[in-house]
Amino acid sequence: MRKSLAQRITLSVLGVLVALVFLFPTYWMFTTALKTPGEILSPKFDLLPSSATLSNFASALTKPGFLTYLGNSLIVTLGAVLAALVVGVLAAIPLARFRFRGRKGFLLLVLVAQLAPLSALFIPMYLLMRDIGLLNTLPSLLLVYFATSLPFTVWMLYGFVNGIPYDLEEAAMIDGCSRTGAFRRVTLPLLGPGLVTTSVFSFITAWNEFLFALVFMRDQAKQTLPVWLSSFRTAFSVDWGGVMAASVVYAIPAVVFFLIVQRKLVSGMTAGAVKG
Amino acid sequence: MTATKDALLPAGPPPPAAARVGLVKRVWSRGQLTPYLLLLPALAAVLVLLGWPTVQMLGISLRKLDLRELVTGKAIWVGLQNYTDALTDPEFWTVTVRTVVFTAALVATTLLIALLIAVLMRHLNPVVRIVVQISLVLAWAVPVISTTTVFQWIFDQQYGILNKTLDKLGFHSFIGYSWFASGTSTLVVIGLLVLWQAVPFVAFTLYAGLLGVPREQYEAAGIDGAGPWQTFRAVTWPVIRPILTMVTFLSLLWDFTMFAQVWAIRQGGPDGASTTLAILQYLKGIAGSHFGSAAAIATIMLVLLLAVTARYVQLLVRSKDGELA
Repeated sequence: MRKSLAQRITLSVLGVLVALVFLFPTYWMFTTALKTPGEILSPKFDLLPSSATLSNFASALTKPGFLTYLGNSLIVTLGAVLAALVVGVLAAIPLARFRFRGRKGFLLLVLVAQLAPLSALFIPMYLLMRDIGLLNTLPSLLLVYFATSLPFTVWMLYGFVNGIPYDLEEAAMIDGCSRTGAFRRVTLPLLGPGLVTTSVFSFITAWNEFLFALVFMRDQAKQTLPVWLSSFRTAFSVDWGGVMAASVVYAIPAVVFFLIVQRKLVSGMTAGAVKG
Repeated sequence: MTATKDALLPAGPPPPAAARVGLVKRVWSRGQLTPYLLLLPALAAVLVLLGWPTVQMLGISLRKLDLRELVTGKAIWVGLQNYTDALTDPEFWTVTVRTVVFTAALVATTLLIALLIAVLMRHLNPVVRIVVQISLVLAWAVPVISTTTVFQWIFDQQYGILNKTLDKLGFHSFIGYSWFASGTSTLVVIGLLVLWQAVPFVAFTLYAGLLGVPREQYEAAGIDGAGPWQTFRAVTWPVIRPILTMVTFLSLLWDFTMFAQVWAIRQGGPDGASTTLAILQYLKGIAGSHFGSAAAIATIMLVLLLAVTARYVQLLVRSKDGELA
């Protein structure tokens, strides 16, 4: 498929246009966060920033409650990630290393559970949390985020454990390790990258989740960052610089983690569903 | 990341290597219970936190469960009353049709744009391709709620860059134009916001599929004198069709049950004109405490979704079934 020069230039121009369209909102969020309030609320056409200030970040971070919401988000997210990881590893070991009755059925259950439209289940989830007295507490969110990321975590880790040759464990056992010891000393360290990738997925899912946080947390003090940010009209009135700065702060961990695992992303997503 | 021709899914986690069953069995011969004990926490979590609520939802949808019944704890079974109420309510039909049309339009647009970008990436020179890929990854990585606030700011009536740009281009009537004055216009903005976030994943997936087409096949098609359209039909299409099926399914799933974007933009307003089924469920159940009606709406949603996607799940399970030996 030889292309003429004109064709190549046209394609490149198209490519650059696509890139600009996809970069623009992020660019706009970032530059607005750096503008002075006077610049933001001027009728002037201002695609390029003329100055940069960090005052919006200062005002966003000192908004009443911001640190509380950040803390809430961190607690439920990290708690859910950790729980899913522990339970996920425990489940991945037998699935990858044993042959037992019901194994295949369980794997298919995990696969289908990933596709369950959880967001359609918030009414019974709300009532369940109410019945066990967890409504309006952080553990309720932690549990739901744990449940949301578990099927996906099990599936991913199962694939990773499978990718580690069993011979290594055998060799360790011949050298006198117990079965558990061999797994702990040989396979678990090799599983490191898999654990990191999987945790990042769960982290992003929980960090970005909005619906359950809105439904479960009736008290303002219990809210998470995304819920607080979505109600910026009350928190910020028309302080667009502050809203953009807060959006940047909230986006940074998700974006950084995303970039770490983005090579694995497409393959991971097609096996499960991390809703971006 | 490669995609085999016959796999329904592009490479997910690698399929298990054929394990040497005999040996594994022998090592573990003591402790037949071990695998079950290890699986127990995961199984319990899936059953209690995912299975039970699903069963509960069906039960609640057959009851009258408002705030009073919730407090007194009395179960009042009303049969299919909640369903007949929903199906005879004109507002429910308006919202259902709106949700279906919005979802269909959104999924079709997502796939079309993503396919065009994937094909474009295939033909770009490496430098421009990397630039495009970075821009897509960034758009994908930004959390939904951050994106939502930025879009509100871009479309802002007074100071939004969009109205300023249109004014600059000579369309002066857009000074102070409100993009959120009607339901249709609001849904278009929500649609753009979802597109911006959803296209990257679909484009990458399709692009990965396109990489699975050997260059020789394109060259052969060229030698045989096939035009670009014929080449696409004969060489590209068969490879990406299964992948397209998969991303269509996932997009349907996400767009149909989408809540955050719609709620965060205008809470389903103005005057409920951008309310979708997910929002209606929230307004009825959580805001209005009519849990029975809300559960009926949720069940109807799931039935609609199942009707559209059952075939896919069947294919998926069948394709994985062989791999899980």
